Amino acid sequence: MKPSKKKYFVKRKKVCKFTVEGIDYIDYKDVDLLRQYTPVSGKILPRRVTGTSPIYQRKLTRAIKRARQMALLAFVGD
Amino acid sequence: MPLYELGMVVSTDLETEEREAFLAEIRQLLTAGGATFVKEDVWGKRTLAYQIGHKREGYYVFWQYEAPGAVIKPLEYKLKLSDQVHRFLNLNLDNELRRSRKLSKKRAERARKKPAVAQGPSGAGSRVEES
Repeated sequence: MKPSKKKYFVKRKKVCKFTVEGIDYIDYKDVDLLRQYTPVSGKILPRRVTGTSPIYQRKLTRAIKRARQMALLAFVGD
Repeated sequence: MPLYELGMVVSTDLETEEREAFLAEIRQLLTAGGATFVKEDVWGKRTLAYQIGHKREGYYVFWQYEAPGAVIKPLEYKLKLSDQVHRFLNLNLDNELRRSRKLSKKRAERARKKPAVAQGPSGAGSRVEES
């Protein structure tokens, strides 16, 4: 029997970076960290994509919005 | 007194002395209200992520200070009216850090309770490293 292609597809487990690394407070000044969650378009990546836990996703969203307000991150990408 | 963090994007059109005078003025306003500075973080000139009033650069200053709540209103009023500040953000860090402090306390407590259990696997790990 021919093995199906699906068999070889290994789903990568998504983990919440903040839970794993024990980052309790997401600072809006930490631009490099926030950039990992905003693609070139400038949108905030959903947790469905990144695997961030709900508590940290809310904190992350707030931090990104604050960083945008302070012109550290762009509202709209290039 | 709560701990606050004030972030400011000051205009780069100002001369260095003018800017320092302006910052000193705000510092004076805070200290007159009974504030004590905890940390001063100056990032300096930095390109803005987008233009603000046709300006491409800003001078970033971040201050952490402890102050009574009464100081905040006049401070924000002054910054809002000022032409020299493009943007500012004043946060109550005590509110912001409440959860992280709680979590770290919990973690420390857990670590204090656990050592007897934790020794088992760590000991096994060291044995593996030796061999």
